[in-house]
Amino acid sequence: MMMYHSWDSQNAWLRQILAQNYMYMNRQQAEAMGIKDLSWIWLESKTGRIRVQVKLMEGVEKSTVWTWNAFGKQRGTWGLDADANESNQGFLLNHLINEHLPCGDTGRPITNSDPITGQAAWYDLQVKIYPAKAGEVGIWPNFETIKPLPGSVRAKDKLRYQTHKAVGVSRSLKDILMRGDTRRDK
Amino acid sequence: MKLGLVIDLDTCVGCNACAVACKQWNTSGTTGLLTDFEPYGKDSTGVWFNRIRNYEVGDYPNSKTVHFPMSCMHCDDAACVTVCPTGASYKRELDREDGVMKKCTLCVDRIYDENLPEDERKPACVMTCPSHARYFGDFDDPNSEVSIISRERNGEQLMPELGYQPVNKYLSPREKKNVGTYVNETNSIKAVKDWVNRLVTR
Ligand code: SF4
Ligand code: SF4
Ligand code: SF4
Repeated sequence: MMMYHSWDSQNAWLRQILAQNYMYMNRQQAEAMGIKDLSWIWLESKTGRIRVQVKLMEGVEKSTVWTWNAFGKQRGTWGLDADANESNQGFLLNHLINEHLPCGDTGRPITNSDPITGQAAWYDLQVKIYPAKAGEVGIWPNFETIKPLPGSVRAKDKLRYQTHKAVGVSRSLKDILMRGDTRRDK
Repeated sequence: MKLGLVIDLDTCVGCNACAVACKQWNTSGTTGLLTDFEPYGKDSTGVWFNRIRNYEVGDYPNSKTVHFPMSCMHCDDAACVTVCPTGASYKRELDREDGVMKKCTLCVDRIYDENLPEDERKPACVMTCPSHARYFGDFDDPNSEVSIISRERNGEQLMPELGYQPVNKYLSPREKKNVGTYVNETNSIKAVKDWVNRLVTR
């Protein structure tokens, strides 16, 4: 996968492959609900709601939606420009997920994680989906843009990496004369 | 000798590892450096010799995802800049910084580098592919890996109708049986069952 979690936003090559996430949804289900490809939808759980951009696809079960989480970045953070895709189209599911499971009468909060591995249990959240109203575009919630730290400099507007010392093409004279000559190959 | 790639669309998982390995090798190679523009800004772009496109074929639940790596196909009869079928030499791989068009070289500085161990004299993308979906070799040799596999799996040229004779070949996804999809049905029998189950658990 070309992106995992926040860290890879610093990777100039990976973010060219994917710089924002979408909420992926079954096309037929979306059409039945009047939701268009690349439109904005609300996603609501017991804990909160977020506004995100939807992408319709065939390869997802009808009552399931999925996304790559952890694209969303507050504007001005992570060394990205304030208008970076991550900060304006990318989103986080964190706003929808409670840290704790409902504890009933026990009064003792239980962490919302897999009981065996301790891995954050982000796979079993029930959400309600509805289209955003006309004029409701862009991600929500939004937070103020973080100001750059004193003394920090904006990243270069051009990168030209050399990742290893260029190798010489080493070929023997015989090879240069012979190889590729189809008459002699045959 | 006719060197080129075979790409297996049946096993390619669209991981983009070949695209990144290609950029990493070639930014330091004969055609480097491969520039990135506004790398940490909005809609960042850069020069890549290999890009993966993703498609879905068919409708849910009988759909299939196909990942399609595209690089220059080394056409025998190329019209490159006017109408390259892959887009490999149209605009996008113009390195604005160097003012030249750049494209896949089949990793010329790997395949001919006799300082490399023999089994590494292959393109970076072929070496890196985790699902072994990429093959490199000589299509003029009927016993090469690329010739054999294109013969057995009916390897196809992309847009042969344009007559450019691309050397690279693609292997189509194999036909597979559809796996049944769990259907979350609601009918009266199930509703009664659910109701009884709820009573019992109470
Ligand atoms: S794919 Fe063919 S037309 Fe396009 S750049 Fe390569 S050789 Fe030229
Ligand atoms: S053969 Fe080399 S230059 Fe061409 S796509 Fe593969 S890694 Fe890139
Ligand atoms: S590395 Fe292999 S599996 Fe991954 S995108 Fe490239 S061809 Fe496909």
